[in-house]
Amino acid sequence: MEKSPKNVNEIIENIKKLYGKSSDLKTRIMNIGKTNIGILFMESSSSGSDVSDFIIKSTYFISKNTKIFSNLYNNLKNSIFASQLSTTNNFEEFPYYLSSGFTIVIVDGSDEAIILETRATLDRGVSEATSEPILRGPKDSFTENHSKNLGLVRKRIKDSNLWIEDMKVGVRTQTKVSLIYLNDVADKKCLNKIKKILKQINVDGILDSGNIREYLLKKKSSFPQILSTERPDFACQSILNGKIVLIVENTPFVLILPNVFTDFIHTSEDEYQKPANVNFTRVLKIIALIITLFTPAIYIAITTFDQTVVPDELLISLAVQREGVPFPTFFEVILLMAIFEILRESDVRSPANMGASMSIVGALILGQAAVDAGIVSPIAVIVIAITSICSLIFTDVDFMNGIRTWRFIFILSATFFGIIGIIASGLILVLKLSSLDAFGVPFLAPFSPLITESQKNSIIRFPLPKIFKRPEYLNDNDIIKQGGQNEK
Amino acid sequence: MKNKIILLFICLLMVTGCGNYRELNDLAIVTSIAIDKSGDEYELSFLIANSPKSQTSNKEGEATTTIYSGKGKTLNEATNVIDRKTPKSLYYGHINVVVISEEIAKEGFFKIADWLLRNPETRKQFYIIQSKENTASSILKIVEPLESFPSQSIASLIESNATFESLTSNIKYSPFVERILSPGFDPILPAVSINGTVKKGSNEKNLETTVPKTYIKLNDAAIFRKDKFIDYIGEKDSQAINVLNDSISEFKFAFKYNKADIVFISDNINTKIKLKDFNHIDIKVSGDGYLAEVNGQVKIENTNVVKKIEKKLEKEVKEHLKSTLKKMQNEYKADVFGFGNKLYGKYPSKWKKVEDEWNDKYFSKLNIDVKTDFVISSSGSLNRTLEEVKK
Repeated sequence: MEKSPKNVNEIIENIKKLYGKSSDLKTRIMNIGKTNIGILFMESSSSGSDVSDFIIKSTYFISKNTKIFSNLYNNLKNSIFASQLSTTNNFEEFPYYLSSGFTIVIVDGSDEAIILETRATLDRGVSEATSEPILRGPKDSFTENHSKNLGLVRKRIKDSNLWIEDMKVGVRTQTKVSLIYLNDVADKKCLNKIKKILKQINVDGILDSGNIREYLLKKKSSFPQILSTERPDFACQSILNGKIVLIVENTPFVLILPNVFTDFIHTSEDEYQKPANVNFTRVLKIIALIITLFTPAIYIAITTFDQTVVPDELLISLAVQREGVPFPTFFEVILLMAIFEILRESDVRSPANMGASMSIVGALILGQAAVDAGIVSPIAVIVIAITSICSLIFTDVDFMNGIRTWRFIFILSATFFGIIGIIASGLILVLKLSSLDAFGVPFLAPFSPLITESQKNSIIRFPLPKIFKRPEYLNDNDIIKQGGQNEK
Repeated sequence: MKNKIILLFICLLMVTGCGNYRELNDLAIVTSIAIDKSGDEYELSFLIANSPKSQTSNKEGEATTTIYSGKGKTLNEATNVIDRKTPKSLYYGHINVVVISEEIAKEGFFKIADWLLRNPETRKQFYIIQSKENTASSILKIVEPLESFPSQSIASLIESNATFESLTSNIKYSPFVERILSPGFDPILPAVSINGTVKKGSNEKNLETTVPKTYIKLNDAAIFRKDKFIDYIGEKDSQAINVLNDSISEFKFAFKYNKADIVFISDNINTKIKLKDFNHIDIKVSGDGYLAEVNGQVKIENTNVVKKIEKKLEKEVKEHLKSTLKKMQNEYKADVFGFGNKLYGKYPSKWKKVEDEWNDKYFSKLNIDVKTDFVISSSGSLNRTLEEVKK
């Protein structure tokens, strides 16, 4: 639209028409002499007491003391009580500010409007992270409040090189997306790519960082290359390593990118604990990854194709256990896996007070009774139990889903080709993983390509005093993490 | 293009020849085979391990065994007879033990070796034993209280005896065949017999008594000349053979010194065989060990006495080994030590001339010098004998 009309009444009428006479749009017109001052705000998203205590009160006093009415607008702009004040002459921006909880002050005859921050706190306070529990370390988590989220990062990294860049994504929701990075560390090419993609998004609504995440990586892959976290300390660790963090308005889950494979076995806690303990758990996670990927497939392969590899007594015990089970091994495994996935899904969705009955049904009826009834063999229950437990060690949901997809591929190839099939699809998995890259960073770095220096914190973590460099695959701007700052 | 490559890849997987899909419960797992001869037909007996006889034992993963037998002119024919009797398909991948009867062994082992080797499913790492006195199939029938199924009990019997008692040679199938085929090397096999009656031993009640009425005994070894069985030898001889073959893990030797009974045990016996020339072989057996039992008045705390005991031990062992060597050279004419094989390795051209008559003529003429060297390094937990203390 063209420039805003100079008549207050006219503007207010226009805005009201725009909002279809929504009940929460409140307007107030003050007459100072012949000049009208219009005050507009959204009752639902702004704090009413702020508006009346500061804006209306100060507007009244200022306008009363103003002698020359032509200067009214400038006087207001200079002396109105508000920490955040901006001006606009674009009438089109009004709905964005109003919906965000700003108050707009317009004066007759002025082609600019004053915009004042009076947002209501429509969110919960900073609480403990629920999806990533931690034993030792900061317990706060991101919330739905955008500026609070930015503050949680800013208070941790006080360097002025921590730059925050805002973008608005979503035609209707106008969601604020902030890119946070260390200007002298983060990779500019990667940053530009992200910005380009964000600018291209032309969708009506972005409600969670999950929406954005899908646009960011177009390459098909079952493994995610973007981490999401609700822990500010983890986000800050990533920023310090040269990664870029995306904070999306109204969601506690922030995105970290780019990531490599090993990032998914790391937790924020890793840096707060003794290296020996961390390495132990990381190796455990790698073992769990292998177990959860391969166990059902190997079970199928050795019971239907390659019985020769099983020790005598185990094979006989397996054979006797399978006696009387009517289904083929493949179906048995798929059945149990489906039941587990259903249990897991219903456990996530159901209210907390229904969890107890669910576990009784799941553990007792499905496990014990199915074996007693001869529908599945006890060893199949054990195999699926081990597989499921090992898959729960990974916190990232998308990573877990990626593992699930590949587990299924392994099961299928084991069913048709036995152990040869598992080896073949294992090769395909490695090929697939090494062909992936996230914004120019190879997914299997620092192993492929091999970067010796970055091995210090990939699977094995060296003691912190010995890690001098940031991951080299992420950037090459300022690689020194420790010991170099004094020289600068 | 990409799809074509994927298709090609799947085709490649299909031609590996490993696509033999079989569910476990469709298999009859054969764990041991007994081969007998009845008339001019072979009689095969298969011990099948996974036969759930009752619903209750099924659930606890307990296996009960069943034996199927069949006769035929060839071994394959006999297998077909068994195959027709069993509702499941026979699976040979987990054979533990193959028992052959004396008759089969006398006739020559090669007649049955072909079938066992040719089958791609068998692992070739099973034990092969010969049944003494009884038929081979009766060995399979004995249920042992300490193991869950018969074939396993025989296999562990051989293993524990070979490692701890060193009485029999625990030879597996493929090295056994290899030994038959290599020049100048005659094999030996462990021989088992049944103590008690087969009828009682094959009953499950045998498991319920504290003192099993029937059990499998393993104390002899069968001497072969190439693939043909000659005779049985006792524990002492088979121990000596193991010492000379350097395949012994624990050497136990009992002897008398000044009326006292002494048992010497060594677990690092080392045998070195040196070919001096084509007719002369030097053997040196050395090792150190401890005294496991001393009953009598011996001052073992005195080093001079210990030196004397060592001398006596060396002499006794030497005599023991020599008598076995003599027996093999003159009585059985079976080169179970593989001396001929060693000569073949060192003097291949000379060996060619004697090869055909090695066992009959040249082996017994071989001059063998035996030297023994033992050190008693410890007297166990007691440093004096009890009778010494009593005085």
